[in-house]
Amino acid sequence: MAEILRVEELTKYFNTKSGLLHAVDGVTFSVEEGKTLGIVGESGCGKSTLGRVILHLHERTSGKILFNGEDISEVNAQKLHALRKDMQIIFQDPYASLNPRMTVGNIIAEPLKNYKLTKSKEESEKKVREMMDIVGLADRTYNLYPHELDGGRRQRIGIARALILDPKLVVCDEPVSALDVSIQAQVLNLLMELQKDRGLTYLFITHNLSVVKHISDDITVMYLGQMVEKAESNEIFRHQYHPYTKALISAIPVPKYNAPDNQIILKGEITSPINVGKSCRFAARCPYAKENCFNTEPVLEEVTKDHFVKCHYVKEINGF
Amino acid sequence: MAKKTRDKNQHHSMVGEVWHQFKKNRNAVIGLIVLCIFIIIAVFAPMIAPYGYDDQDAAHTKIAPCREYPFGTDNLGRDVLSRIIHGSRYSLMIGFLAVTISIIAGGILGVLAAFYPKLDNIIMRTMDLFMAIPQMLLAMCIVAALGSSLFNLMLAVGLSSTPQFARVVRASVLSTRGQEYVEAARAIGGSDFNVIVRHIIPNSLAPLIVQATLSMARAIISASALSFLGFGIQAPKPEWGAMLSAGRKYIRQCWWLTVIPGLAIMVVVYALNVVGDGLRDSLDPRLKK
Repeated sequence: MAEILRVEELTKYFNTKSGLLHAVDGVTFSVEEGKTLGIVGESGCGKSTLGRVILHLHERTSGKILFNGEDISEVNAQKLHALRKDMQIIFQDPYASLNPRMTVGNIIAEPLKNYKLTKSKEESEKKVREMMDIVGLADRTYNLYPHELDGGRRQRIGIARALILDPKLVVCDEPVSALDVSIQAQVLNLLMELQKDRGLTYLFITHNLSVVKHISDDITVMYLGQMVEKAESNEIFRHQYHPYTKALISAIPVPKYNAPDNQIILKGEITSPINVGKSCRFAARCPYAKENCFNTEPVLEEVTKDHFVKCHYVKEINGF
Repeated sequence: MAKKTRDKNQHHSMVGEVWHQFKKNRNAVIGLIVLCIFIIIAVFAPMIAPYGYDDQDAAHTKIAPCREYPFGTDNLGRDVLSRIIHGSRYSLMIGFLAVTISIIAGGILGVLAAFYPKLDNIIMRTMDLFMAIPQMLLAMCIVAALGSSLFNLMLAVGLSSTPQFARVVRASVLSTRGQEYVEAARAIGGSDFNVIVRHIIPNSLAPLIVQATLSMARAIISASALSFLGFGIQAPKPEWGAMLSAGRKYIRQCWWLTVIPGLAIMVVVYALNVVGDGLRDSLDPRLKK
C-alpha cells in the first residue's frame, strides 16, 4: 500500500501572553492509503491542533507535511483550495460545526458549490440526496435545519459534507465524543463502512481508547504535544511500554462485576505546555521518574519491531 | 418530527421563512401595522392633512380638540392634526436616515476592528472616547459645528450613535468568527469572501437588527430633543419634538399641544421596539416553535 500522508518533525507553537505554547512538538508519522491511524491523548495534548495543522486550518511553525509524496508544508491559496478537495475534516461538535441558518441540503451542497462540481441546481440536489442516503440521513430532512435534528443525525450531516467531495484523507477530530454511547457505535460503524467502500484514509483523533481500538490499524499516543508511544493497534493493547500508555489503558472501564481494579491513578494535572524545558514532559506525573528524567529529554526509539516508545527507562520498567 | 407538516420538497426563501416566523408574534405584527400606517401617512401627508402645516387662522387659536379640529389648534391657530401628519415625514425620515448613517459607519468600523487586530485598538479606543461624551452633547456639538439643518441633524444623531454600532458589530463578528462552522466552511474550500458572506454575516446580523430598530426609536427621540432645544428643525416646520417644545409654554392652558406630539413619538417608538424584537426572534431559526 502506498503512503498517503507523511508528517516529519511537525511543530506548532502558539504565541500566548505567558509564553510560547508548545501545542505540537516534533511529531513524525506516516499513514498508508486506506488505513486508519488513531491519535490518542488527553484533553490539551495537541491532538486536535495536529489535525488542523495538517489541513492548514492552522499554519505550522516548522516541520514537513507530505501528501501523496508531495511537500504541502507551504502552499498558496490556489493550491490549498485544490488540496482541500482531497483532505477533509469531520468535527467533534456536531452542534457547533453546522451553520444554524442553513438547511441540511444547503450545508451538504456547499462543498459542491465551492468547487463548482455540478452544473445545475438539480444535479447538485441529486448528488446531495444520494450522499444523504449513503450516510443514512432520511430524505425528508433535506429542508430541515440542524437544530431540528439530534446529535447523531447532525454528525451524519458533517460526515456527508466532508465526503461529498470524494476526499482521500479524512481527519476525524473526535467525531463521536459528543454523542450518546448508543449512537457512537452507529456512527463508528458508518465511518468504517464508508472507509471500506471508498478506500478512505482516516486520521482518527480521540481520547477514547475503546473507540480507537474499534477502528484503528495503528495507534499513536500523544502527551503534551509529543508522541510517546506508537505501534500497531493490537500490539499496543497487548503490550504498553510507556508509563503514560499503561495508565491510559488501565483506565478503560471493564464491564464486569468484581473485575480486579488495576487502574493506575496518575498524580496531579497535565503540566503546562507553555515554556517547556529540556525534560521528559511526563516526568512530573510518572511513577517511575528519576532525576535524569527531569534534566534530559528522551527520544522515540524502537523497542520491539514497529513499536516505538519515548522513555529513558523503558527497558528497566518493562524488564527487557 | 411529527410536528413537521411542511412538504419535504418545498423550498423556502429566506424572506418567506422569516415572515412565517414573524407572523406568529402578535405584538410585532401590530407594531408593523402601526409603523406601516405612519409610513403611509408620511408619504401621502399633503393629501391626508385637512390643512397645510402652517395655515394660520387667527380666529381659531388654542381651540381644544373638537369635531372640526380633532387634535385642537395651537397658539397661532394651526391645526395640530395637520401638523402631526406633516411632522411624521420629518420624524420618520430622521429615524431611518440617522440609523442608516450609524449602521454604515459603525458597521464598517466594527468589521474592520474585528478582522484586523492592528486597527482594533485604534478604532475601538477612539469609539470609547466618543462614548465617554454624552450622546446628546455630542450631537449638539456636531449640529453647532455644522449649522442647523435637517441633514445635519440626521448626521449628528447618526454619528453620535455610531460607537454603539461599531461595538455591537465588532463583538458579533468576533464571536461568529470563532465558531466551528466558520472553520468548517474554510475546510470545505470556501473563499474568504464566501465565508464572510454566507456564514459570518448572516450569523452576526441579529444583534445589529435589534440595535438598529432600538436606535431608530432613540434617534427619533434625540432628534425631537434637539429640536426641542432649538438645534434641529426650525419653525414653522412641524417636527414632533419641535412641536412639543413649542407647546410647552402653553402646557397649563392647552394640554393637547404637548400631549399629542408626545403620544405620536411614543407610539412610533413603541412600534419600532416591538418590530425589532419580533424581527430578532424570527431571524433566528433556533427559536422556531
